[in-house]
Amino acid sequence: MKRSTLAVLVPAWNEEVTVADVVSKIRNDCQYDVIVINDASTDQTAERAAAAGATVLNLPINLGAWGATQTGIRFALKKGYREVVTMDADGQHLPAAIPDLLAPIAAGEADMVIGSCTQRGSKARKMAWRFFRGMTGLGIEDLTSGFRAYDLPAMKILASKKATLLEYQDVGVLLLLIHAGLRMQEIKVPMRVRVAGSSKIFSSWFKVAEYLLLTLILCTSHIMKMKSHMHAGNRGAL
Amino acid sequence: MKPLLSYQWTTAIIGLVIAIVILFLIRRDILHVKRSLWWIGIAGLIVIMGIFPFQIAQFGALLGVHYPPILILTVGMGFILIKILSMDLERSRQERMLRRLTQKIAMLESLQREAKDVETKGLSE
Repeated sequence: MKRSTLAVLVPAWNEEVTVADVVSKIRNDCQYDVIVINDASTDQTAERAAAAGATVLNLPINLGAWGATQTGIRFALKKGYREVVTMDADGQHLPAAIPDLLAPIAAGEADMVIGSCTQRGSKARKMAWRFFRGMTGLGIEDLTSGFRAYDLPAMKILASKKATLLEYQDVGVLLLLIHAGLRMQEIKVPMRVRVAGSSKIFSSWFKVAEYLLLTLILCTSHIMKMKSHMHAGNRGAL
Repeated sequence: MKPLLSYQWTTAIIGLVIAIVILFLIRRDILHVKRSLWWIGIAGLIVIMGIFPFQIAQFGALLGVHYPPILILTVGMGFILIKILSMDLERSRQERMLRRLTQKIAMLESLQREAKDVETKGLSE
């Protein structure tokens, strides 16, 4: 296997059914190094990911999807990787789409690329996307997509202490990168239907309400900063 | 002395100031957004109490409480709120440290395993 400058990060919490298949597909189809961040799973996620050929980081405490992803980014920086792609461990994201995701970064057109698939969302999720899109002014359709590529400057910002208290890999991450003057792009990618498990963010009505409220407060707290950035012309960089 | 502001305005302004301070603290990444729900709720409640004092007084009367202008109690409550907020700020700081420490443990364990594997491989060769 070639030593690439790219690592694929797969945060996983109790994903023993799908994680081995996801790791094998990335390794076989694209030959990239895979880092699985086991978010304190209580099943065989870590063992199956390691057996499939991934480097496994075992978190002793559950940090949530973003905390796990940040662990992977920090580790990737330590190991000298210059780009990372984040993918869900439930098999929704297709490794075949990784080159498309990396193309804008390779061309120097973006520091972060989001692979979006807006058809997959439920009505409630689409409404939430539309609401936060309007509120933040971010021209991103699929705000919650975990299929993303980051270049080195973006990795450095997201590995910082400033990003540690974020709860989700969505609006907060985007705002942080926008404020740092980085550029982002969104490209349409195909996604598969979830094989097993369910969405961690939208797992119950209580979780949905908590997510909406926390994101609303986060957006409101950044609204002044966003407006000033947009007036400074940064919006064009989207 | 003629009051500068009506009671309604004073309470509403206190609520708004609390809300603005909370948003500012989140924006500066000093207060964890999860800790903010309670504080935004309190701020909203204070604003509502300011805007609808008559309804609140009616509710108080229903419970047998007649509102006296107890300034000391109000000021005391303000200090308690500031104290609890400072505790939440400290909790957010500790949460950040705990998260980074947890991440570091996971990274170090992986590097240790990797070094062990290399050593085992070297010995077997």
